[in-house]
Amino acid sequence: MLCLGIESTAHTFSCAVIEKKGRNGRILSDVRKIYRPPEGEGIHPREASRHHAEHSPQVLLECLEKAHMKIADLDMISYAAGPGLGPCLRIGAVVARSLASYYDIPVYPVNHALGHIELGKMLTGARDPLVLLVSGGHTMILAFLGKKWRVFGETLDITLGQLLDQIGRHAGFASPCGQKIEDLASKSSNYEPLPYVVKGNDVSFSGLFSATKQIMSKGLETVCFSLQETAFSMIGETVERALSFTGKKEFLIVGGVAANKRLSEILKSICKRHNCKFYVSPKEYAGDCGSQISWVGLLESSKKGGSKLENTFVRQSWRIDSVEVPY
Amino acid sequence: MSKDTALLLKLVKKGAEADIYLTTWNGKKSILKIRKRKEYRNEILDNRIRTSRTMREAKMISEVKQLGISTPLVYFVDQKKFEIYLQFVEGKLVRDLSNKMIVGTCEKIGKIVGILHKNGVMHGDLTTSNFILSRNNLVILDFGLSQRTDRVEDHAIDLRLFKEVLNSAHVEIVGHAWSSFLRGYGKIMGSQKKEQVVLQVSVIEKRGRYANVV
Repeated sequence: MLCLGIESTAHTFSCAVIEKKGRNGRILSDVRKIYRPPEGEGIHPREASRHHAEHSPQVLLECLEKAHMKIADLDMISYAAGPGLGPCLRIGAVVARSLASYYDIPVYPVNHALGHIELGKMLTGARDPLVLLVSGGHTMILAFLGKKWRVFGETLDITLGQLLDQIGRHAGFASPCGQKIEDLASKSSNYEPLPYVVKGNDVSFSGLFSATKQIMSKGLETVCFSLQETAFSMIGETVERALSFTGKKEFLIVGGVAANKRLSEILKSICKRHNCKFYVSPKEYAGDCGSQISWVGLLESSKKGGSKLENTFVRQSWRIDSVEVPY
Repeated sequence: MSKDTALLLKLVKKGAEADIYLTTWNGKKSILKIRKRKEYRNEILDNRIRTSRTMREAKMISEVKQLGISTPLVYFVDQKKFEIYLQFVEGKLVRDLSNKMIVGTCEKIGKIVGILHKNGVMHGDLTTSNFILSRNNLVILDFGLSQRTDRVEDHAIDLRLFKEVLNSAHVEIVGHAWSSFLRGYGKIMGSQKKEQVVLQVSVIEKRGRYANVV
């Protein structure tokens, strides 16, 4: 089976082709174009969607070329139907619908968050992990139970990615700011006290965000270090809680913030303490990409047919714990 | 901890927050709860968290006894070592009971939580593994995250967490267990106050990422 996956939930427009044989997948190509807002600013949904619309033909062509494929060779198409920014989602959906109807190829709307998890599992070989999904859109701890991914803990307000990006933007960096904050943080070991808010299995970052803005005068390196240490420790504690509650023996971290080395280091040491195998999505596929969408499409196609064109929806708010996973 | 007592220690559980050992205190079977240094956590932050939680737990666990709630006795607290010696409670964690038993027990849990809230105490970590059913008596554990608060928001956070736990770890019975919990909670809080907190739970849920915006 060959599937073209189209991702356009936020700043990334990406197309990827994956070939599935049995339970194995092989990524034939994965091409991305990322919308970069001006320094100090965040994603403007309209501008991002314009970016996606302008670059979609080029990304699609390059993706097919790299996979040595023609559109007619594809068995199916999947696109990210949510959650994400409405205007951006619609671009991906329009591309998917156009190709599907013109070439008469089955089309599958898939959940973006599910894509992060399933691609992470496929690439790392994790079988039944506790999952930490950390990105600009998500901060969730999940485990699979009774045909659904269940949420064991999550953020009660903003996500880890948002927290880092917003502090970065406040300091005038270009988003996404994760890498820059990580680099600055690694140059300091000077901890300024910041609020640490763990509520049971959940975390809340909004207070930490406001408090961090108040200590900007202490120097960016100190600020980034203190912010990372506090926020990552909060995540670490909730992961530890979920691990000890569920007793899972595998742990997988996916999403854009999975690329952060300090976060990985913390979680690795936690896994060691709980005799748990540690997996992290390869950096290249941790963030948003077409592959995650393509792979979920392929998995779904093993259990159901494509959607009718009139049912190819987009949904800005589409929680992963409402998606039934029959495969 | 001296060498002699160390020999008698048996690790019962590596919890998220603390390690739990089985030991003795003045000849009595006892649980030793140690909030160990977390290597991954910045030391200043780590000490701050461990101190406040150890003290809070020791204080609150005794205080709520006066409300008629069953908690383990506190034998001894070592603030410098972040250690608490607690009474050993024989019984089974509610998490590990049969589904039917869990549903029934949830009403009792609801009552206990109601009493706590009515008296301005938020537990902060309401999960099914923090209750032990001991000879028909329900014992509540783990007050490390507890707080003195009368805010509806804080009480709602307690309820939301419990709901989240039912929703993730006890999927087959979540509906029955939740209404059983609310029945018990309402009996103590009164239906008006209960509704107020339940409403706040849905407000918090709506704040969640990608919750359905109506």
